[in-house]
Amino acid sequence: MEMNDSIAYVLKIGVVISIILIMIGAVLLFLQGSSNGFPIGELASTSSKINSSMFSFSDMINGLLSYQGLDFMLLGIIVLIITPIARVIASVLSFIYERNWLYVVITLIVFINIMVAIFVVPGLLGH
Amino acid sequence: MIAIAYFIALLLAGFAAGIVGSMSGLGGGVVIVPALTLLFGIPLEYAAGASLVSTIATSSGAASAYVKDRLSNIRIGMSLEVATTLGAIAGSLLAAYIYANGISSYLFIIFGVVLLLSLYPTYKEYKRRHRKRMYRDWSTDFFQLSGSYYDKAEKKMIKYSGYRWWLGELVSGGGGLMSGLLGIGGGVLKVMGMNRGMRLPMKVTTSTSNFMIGVTAATSSAIYWALGYIQPFIVAPAVIGILAGAYLGSKLLEKTASQKIRLLFLILLGVIAVQMILRGIGVA
Repeated sequence: MEMNDSIAYVLKIGVVISIILIMIGAVLLFLQGSSNGFPIGELASTSSKINSSMFSFSDMINGLLSYQGLDFMLLGIIVLIITPIARVIASVLSFIYERNWLYVVITLIVFINIMVAIFVVPGLLGH
Repeated sequence: MIAIAYFIALLLAGFAAGIVGSMSGLGGGVVIVPALTLLFGIPLEYAAGASLVSTIATSSGAASAYVKDRLSNIRIGMSLEVATTLGAIAGSLLAAYIYANGISSYLFIIFGVVLLLSLYPTYKEYKRRHRKRMYRDWSTDFFQLSGSYYDKAEKKMIKYSGYRWWLGELVSGGGGLMSGLLGIGGGVLKVMGMNRGMRLPMKVTTSTSNFMIGVTAATSSAIYWALGYIQPFIVAPAVIGILAGAYLGSKLLEKTASQKIRLLFLILLGVIAVQMILRGIGVA
């Protein structure tokens, strides 16, 4: 399989999985009428205070195991964010395979920038 | 049940934004932000967060088709992403500063102005034809800025090369900054950087830009996540709606391909841009 094709599959599968997770989350939320201890009315308001900053990864795993709708939605959103990052990793591998060292380095720089955005910047902002 | 009605209303808004976004060529994010803020009264940071996540979805969906057609150039895209990801980090930090200080009215004005300035180049880009000349300088060879693609309309392989890598990098970095600041894809600046700056053919430019938007928006959204700008109940229907709308829009575009429809949507977006500016000034 050529590099372009594998990248195309990574992108497509990521989007499909994420949409399925978000839909499951929405269905669970409406069936149960609440999630993570919040009643649905509190979530469904324009300036709801409930947002991504309140959810840690470990809480999310627990929430998924107890069928909390919000955690499924958030996992779907995380999968969506990870999809292009997976594509960057796939590109590093294929440039290594092609022995195109300049682009191995360039793609690694892009990857480091993304990792800085995920792990370093939030810490600097005090989150 | 009010919550379900709210969810469905957001879904429909996303659907409409997806259609207008894909048929105008500007992308759903640019349409959903005004829709959520002006129509629903949702805070700008939540609207921008929903837009960013939706942008990743539409970009990944469309890019998978482009990549298969060998239209996008992964080397060129990756080399420019060095600047777009840095720009995205800077833009998100700037947005965080603006929201923390309660001066989001500035962002409404910036959004409106950026949208207005995007209209003309977006209208024009679809009329431009392939350049026969090959442009070269030191960066063409060093960064391997050449390639070829099969043109379906002309039924032949077309070879191309780009130059002025630094200019493409600079302008794309500006696109990344806009992405982080406003929660949009920043595609217009990326297209300008590659087409006008690096002189790459339009087809390669638009598909490579689409390919890049996902990575840029993912970088911004990671920071938006930590800042708490992602509200799942708003993001969920917006993403699903926009993705469905963008898909339908792209199918409609294949059938009609009418320049008049595009013009109509661009005029509509002009009106929306003015609304955003008025909101920022405090008139509307």
